[in-house]
Amino acid sequence: MTTQMIEDPLPTASAASLAALDLFVLGRRAAELRDTRTSPRGAFVRRRQLVAPGEWRGPRDAAEAFADEADLPALGALAGVRDAGVGAIVAGRDPELARAAAAAGLRVIWRLPFENGELDGTRLDRLAALEPLSPSLGALLPTPVGEPYGLDALRFFALARLALPAVPRLFADVTTLGPRLAQMAFGFGADELFGPIVAERALRLGANANNPALTRKEAATLIRGAGLLPCERLADGTLEEVTPA
Amino acid sequence: MTTPSFAAIRDKVRAAEPLTLEDGVALFHHPNLLEVGALANEVRERLHGDRTYFNRNLHINATNVCEASCMFCSFARLEPGKPGAYTMSHDEAWGKLRARVAADDPITEIHIVNGLHPGLPFDYYTELLAGLKRIQPSIHLKAFTAVEIFYFAKKFGMPIADVIAKLRAAGLDSLPGGGAEIFAPRVRRKICDDKCTADEWLEVHRVAHRMGLRSNCTMLYGTIETVEERVDHLLRLRALQDETGGFQTFIALAFHPDNNSLMKLPAPTGVEDLRTYAVARLMLHNIPHIKAYWIMLGIKTAQTALWFGADDLDGTVQEEKIYHMAGAETPQAMSPAEIVRIIRQAGRTPVERDTLYNVVAEGAALGPDKPYRRDVRRSLEVVS
Repeated sequence: MTTQMIEDPLPTASAASLAALDLFVLGRRAAELRDTRTSPRGAFVRRRQLVAPGEWRGPRDAAEAFADEADLPALGALAGVRDAGVGAIVAGRDPELARAAAAAGLRVIWRLPFENGELDGTRLDRLAALEPLSPSLGALLPTPVGEPYGLDALRFFALARLALPAVPRLFADVTTLGPRLAQMAFGFGADELFGPIVAERALRLGANANNPALTRKEAATLIRGAGLLPCERLADGTLEEVTPA
Repeated sequence: MTTPSFAAIRDKVRAAEPLTLEDGVALFHHPNLLEVGALANEVRERLHGDRTYFNRNLHINATNVCEASCMFCSFARLEPGKPGAYTMSHDEAWGKLRARVAADDPITEIHIVNGLHPGLPFDYYTELLAGLKRIQPSIHLKAFTAVEIFYFAKKFGMPIADVIAKLRAAGLDSLPGGGAEIFAPRVRRKICDDKCTADEWLEVHRVAHRMGLRSNCTMLYGTIETVEERVDHLLRLRALQDETGGFQTFIALAFHPDNNSLMKLPAPTGVEDLRTYAVARLMLHNIPHIKAYWIMLGIKTAQTALWFGADDLDGTVQEEKIYHMAGAETPQAMSPAEIVRIIRQAGRTPVERDTLYNVVAEGAALGPDKPYRRDVRRSLEVVS
């Protein structure tokens, strides 16, 4: 048994070669690709969600407003949603919706479901099928089906980053992954935390015990701990470096 | 102090040369976690290949009444009768084993760690062990941290060797590794100034090893210690291992901040966990096993640690209290089938062991592989 070490030449990014890659080399390739796009930066953004006409969830002064494709039938036409202040759509089922949303000027955050134990080949086929859609996608959002396992999830992050290089961002969802795994995902190509960012931490007691919300400081600490420069993405899309208090 | 290059450290690791304090510090500061992890994985695979160990065990924390007031501890209650304080009767403690025996659960080990109870006689502990052995003579009793052994020696006026000999006569088989915390006096003064010193902790293990007992060792990380103090701790463990060879396993214990005096500190992050495991594997070349204690790390991080130096997941546990009172959100037990599945999904080969790393079961005896099992590193399956 040999572990392919870090100084080995990097293979090309064909699907077959990706499936054959050592975990560490796969992670390194994915992180390098991320770094060529964003420099070694990790971002977070304060978001709010339009859940019904006129009904928002999240802080008023959020930098990005989004809607979920599941809510679109109730919310109405894309143009109307956009005019209500929504800047992004979280989707994952309907490619035509994604194209239409992108054409309407909305950023498309595309959910990538994955399940423990799937073959890399199966995953790469699924990612390859998305390739024609990738120019319309603004970000990928790996979403575990069921409880994620650590290595399995990290490998999927790296595969997603490498198989769809045209998609600019790869989000690590704190809510579904947990903060530890979401942080590790930065080593495997992720570049932004996705999840509620709150002004103040409520005590994790009672019904709040499993509240996944992070404060800005916690988000920055996670990103810095992953070896990246923490930045907050602002409403105009610029990244503002978060310096330690 | 000049910072050694990663390449120089890698060369030393591959030549099986011990790493220095400076090397360890450089590894903690190295910007690329995956490089450190890959190197630790190289050592792990050199020692154990894909084999990943676990056991079937039961934890008994017979009392949480404790004279020590360690700031990181959520388990201890300082006096009997305080809210939450408990002390099990022998029957209560023995009942936990009886229940496992009645359930045909083939556990091989009981792990016993307690508070430093000021009111219990020494007989309480010897009878606790003896009773467990009466119920199941083959059970391995891994009991009492060095902190407890040292406390018994002081409280009951016996040399450490006599304490160990009496406990051994009652059924003690090995020592767990807890209570080491961080050896640096600066840190101990601040977070655990009323328990035994680093030298005393090491002396208990030295004596136990000389008496033929095996033991584990630990390091608590994530409180107020510096990286240098972590590496110093590892070096002191390594030095004792050079002297006695009695440590089997090193366990890095992540600080949990809930319900204790250090609540204001953040918990270590996942990346910090993985880095600490990887650096430990690289520094402790002479300690055979590195255990990712899933109760404390969480299952996802523990599984990932199997590629960052760790080769052991601990056991099925049952009723862990110490970390759960500090906010651990993991289950209090895992079935052997769950542990096997986690190991296989990490692309590793599960091996059920006893406390001394004798193989209890492996391969088909641990149940069939899931049909979708794949190798994490080299998934070469072709999808038609």
